Amino acid sequence: MHARVGDSLLSLAQATGLPSLFVVGTGKNVGKTVTMRAIYEACIARGIAPALTSIGRDGEAIDAGDAQPKPRLFLRPGTAIATARDVLPRSPASEMLALSDLRTAAGTLVYARVRHAANYELVGPPTASGIRETVNALANMAPYVIVDGAIDRIAALAGGNDAIVVACGASAANAMDEAVADVRALVRRLRVPRVEPDAPQVRIDGALTPGMAAELIRANERRSVVVADPTKIALTGKAALHALERLDLRCERPLRVVAVTAASIGRDRTFDPAAFARAVAEATALPTFDVYAAEAA
Amino acid sequence: MKRDALLDELSARSLDAAWLREALAPASPYGERDFAELAPFRPGDETRARARAERIARIAEAFDAAQLDALRDVVRNVPDAASAIARASMGDTLADANLLELQRFFDACVRLDGLAGDCRDLPRAASEAVRACARALELGRAGTFGFYLADTFDERLTKARGALARAQAEYDAVRGRASAAVAAALGREIAGSEFIVMRSDLRGPLPPGVRVAREAPTYVLCELDADEASLAALARRDDAANAVADAEEAVRARLSAVIRAHAAALDAAASAFGEADVLVAAARFARAHACTVAEIGDAVSFAFERGRYVPLEAELQREGRAFTPIDVRLDDVAVLTGPNMGGKSVCLRTCGFIALCAAYGLPVPAVRARVPLFDEIVWLGAGTDAEMGGLLSSFAREVVRLRDVLARSRERRLVLLDEFARTTTPREGRALLVAVLERLRALGARALAATHLDGVSAAARARHFAVRGLRGIPERPPTEDLHAALVTLAASMDYTIEEVTQEGTRRSDAIALAALLGLDDAVTASAYDALER
Repeated sequence: MHARVGDSLLSLAQATGLPSLFVVGTGKNVGKTVTMRAIYEACIARGIAPALTSIGRDGEAIDAGDAQPKPRLFLRPGTAIATARDVLPRSPASEMLALSDLRTAAGTLVYARVRHAANYELVGPPTASGIRETVNALANMAPYVIVDGAIDRIAALAGGNDAIVVACGASAANAMDEAVADVRALVRRLRVPRVEPDAPQVRIDGALTPGMAAELIRANERRSVVVADPTKIALTGKAALHALERLDLRCERPLRVVAVTAASIGRDRTFDPAAFARAVAEATALPTFDVYAAEAA
Repeated sequence: MKRDALLDELSARSLDAAWLREALAPASPYGERDFAELAPFRPGDETRARARAERIARIAEAFDAAQLDALRDVVRNVPDAASAIARASMGDTLADANLLELQRFFDACVRLDGLAGDCRDLPRAASEAVRACARALELGRAGTFGFYLADTFDERLTKARGALARAQAEYDAVRGRASAAVAAALGREIAGSEFIVMRSDLRGPLPPGVRVAREAPTYVLCELDADEASLAALARRDDAANAVADAEEAVRARLSAVIRAHAAALDAAASAFGEADVLVAAARFARAHACTVAEIGDAVSFAFERGRYVPLEAELQREGRAFTPIDVRLDDVAVLTGPNMGGKSVCLRTCGFIALCAAYGLPVPAVRARVPLFDEIVWLGAGTDAEMGGLLSSFAREVVRLRDVLARSRERRLVLLDEFARTTTPREGRALLVAVLERLRALGARALAATHLDGVSAAARARHFAVRGLRGIPERPPTEDLHAALVTLAASMDYTIEEVTQEGTRRSDAIALAALLGLDDAVTASAYDALER
C-alpha cells in the first residue's frame, strides 16, 4: 500500500483524539493486515512507536487455512506487541515486558517490545474481554494502539475508545455489488447514531436479534430502538440494512468509524480498482482508499 | 484444600466449607500448589494442628491488616516459574519469557523476605540460590519489570548484532535503489514490494526489475523482482541474522545452566514462597475474624465461648447487623431446642465450622475454645434431604444417609442433627431421635441435635440447651415488607444459648412468628384457639 494512504488513515484516526484504532474487515483476505501495516508504517514515519495486537492471527507467512501466502508484518525497533508466546521469534530477541494469563490459539499471551527489525506474527486473545484487557495493557506501553480486528469479534469494540477503519475487498464477495452492499451494511451498523435523550424510545437489553428486529418492524415501531452500542445489533448484510431502513436504530455509546479501505484484488476475483473504491465511498459516505492502487475515492 | 474423609459433600455444603476455602485461598500459583495439598489433621495430630494455628496467630499478630495486604500483594500475580525451573533442570535452553518469569519470581522472593522482616513464622524464599540466579539475570533487567537479552551479556552478541544492523542497512539500500529505479521508470512513487500498475498508465512494457504477480483487465499486480545484488545482500543479511541467533542462544544456554545448577534450591524457594502465601492468607482470615487459638487436645469435650459462624457474621455485617456469639459445651450428646428462627441451625453450623477450622490447624472464631480433632464431621437432617433425589421421601433420604453414616467406622466424630425425623409423626420421630442419640453416645461421638420435639433430652439422658427466644411478641410491621419483619424479629430475638436444667413447658412462639411474617390474622387467631383446645 502507498505510504500516502497509511498516512491519510492515521490522520483521520488521530483526528478523533482516541488512543487506539481497530481495523475491522467484512471478511477474510480483504486487506486488514495490509491496512494495519500501512497505518503502522505511517506511525513509524511520524516517529510514533505504536503497539500492535490482533484478534486472531496475523503476520504468518502462509495461511493455515488454505496454504496461500499472507502479508507479513515487518516491525521496527520500539514497537510494542501483544502476541502468543509460541510465535514470538527466539531471534532476534525482543524485550519481554510482561506476561499474561490470557490464552490464545498459540499459548498464553506475552507483551514484548521489538528491539531489532524483523517479521513478527501476532496472535491475540480470541475473546472480546481478552482483547479489551490487552488493548488497555498496551495503552500503558505505547502512545498508540493498533488492533487487527475481526468481523466476528466486533464485541471487542464495546466499551472501548477506539477509532475504526473498515476493510472490504474482492475476496469476501462474489461480485462487486455484493461487496459494496456488505460494507454498506457493516458501516451503517457500526455508525448507528447516539439516541436523543428526550426522544420516545424502546430500550433493548442485550442484543437486537433478527427475530426482535422483525417483530419491531411488523409492529411498525416508530420510536427510537436503542441498544447499548452498535456491537449489540446482531444483524448482518441485508437483514441489517432492512432493519436500519425501517427502524430508527440508535445507541447509547456510538462508535467512531473514520474510513474504509477497499482491496480490489482478491484471491479468486478482481474488481476494477477505481470503480470499486468509488462505489464503496458512495455507499458508506466515508473517506475510502484502495489498498493496492493507492488511490483515494 | 483436601477434605479427605473429614467431610462428605452434603456436610461440606451445610457448613459452607466453600466459603472457608475461598477465605483461605492463596494469591499465587505457588500458594495454590501448597493449598491443594492442605489436608485436615487427624486425631493424633493435635500437636501439629495446634502448632500450625499458633504460627498463624503469631503472624496475624505480628502484622497489621495493611502489612498483611502488602504481603499478599507481593505474592499476587507472580508468574509461575516452576515449569521454567523444571525445564532448565532437564537441560532445556530457556526462552526469554521463561527468564522473565524467573526474574519476576526472584524479585518477589526478595520483596517478600523484606516485608517479612524478623517474623520467624514466615518461611524465607530468597535463599542464596535465588540471589545467585537473580544476579545472573540482572544484566537483562529492562525497565522495572522487563527482561531483555542485552548486549552486555556477551561481547559476541554485541558484535553479531552490529553486523546484522549493517547487513540489514545494506539490504535496505539495495532494495531502495531497485524500488527508486522502478518508480522512476513508471513515473510514480511506489512503496513496499507489491503494487499495481493501471494498463491505461502503461506506455510500453513494464520496466526491468518488475515481476507480474497477477493480471486483470484494467491493471497488473506487480512485485519488485530480486536482482543479483539484492539476493547477495539478502544472503549476507540472513548469515548475519543466523550469527545473532547463535549468539543469543549461547547466552540463553549459559543462563539456563545457572538455573539448572541451582534447580533443587530454587524448587525449595518456590515451596517456601507458596507456604508463605498460604500462611499469609490464613493470617488475614484470623485477623479479619478475630480468631483465637483453640486448645486442640485429646480431651473428650468440645467447648467454646462466644463462638461465631463467620460466613453468616460476614453477611450480617454487610447489612449492618451483628451476630450474637454463642457458648456451647458438648461432652457427648446434647439436645438443642428453641423457637423457629432462633438460631438452632446456626448454632449447629457454628459448632461444625469451629471444628473445621481446628481440623485445618487454624485459629477459630471464638473467644476461647477447646476442640478435639475429629475423623469426621457429619451434618444430618434439614438441608440434606433434598440432595439425594430419586424416589425416596424426605424421611427415607434422612434414614438412608443416617444408615450410611452409622455404617462407617470412625473413632471420633462430630454429628450435627438438624431437626432429624421432623417429617414423620412426632411420637415416632422423637423415639427415633432418642435412639440415634443413644447409639451415637455408644459410639463415642459428640453430637448435638436441634429439634422441636419434646422430651428428647430426658429420654436420651442428654444435656439440654435452648435458645432463649423472643423477648416478647413483636409488633407486626405496618406493611407486608418481609425484610422489615425479619429486622423486627431479629431485634426481639435473644439468640443466647443456655443450658436447661429443669424441664418444663416451652413456649413455641411459632404462631406469633407466623403472624409477624404476614400470615392472615384470622388464621393465626384460629391457630391460638386450636392451641387452647
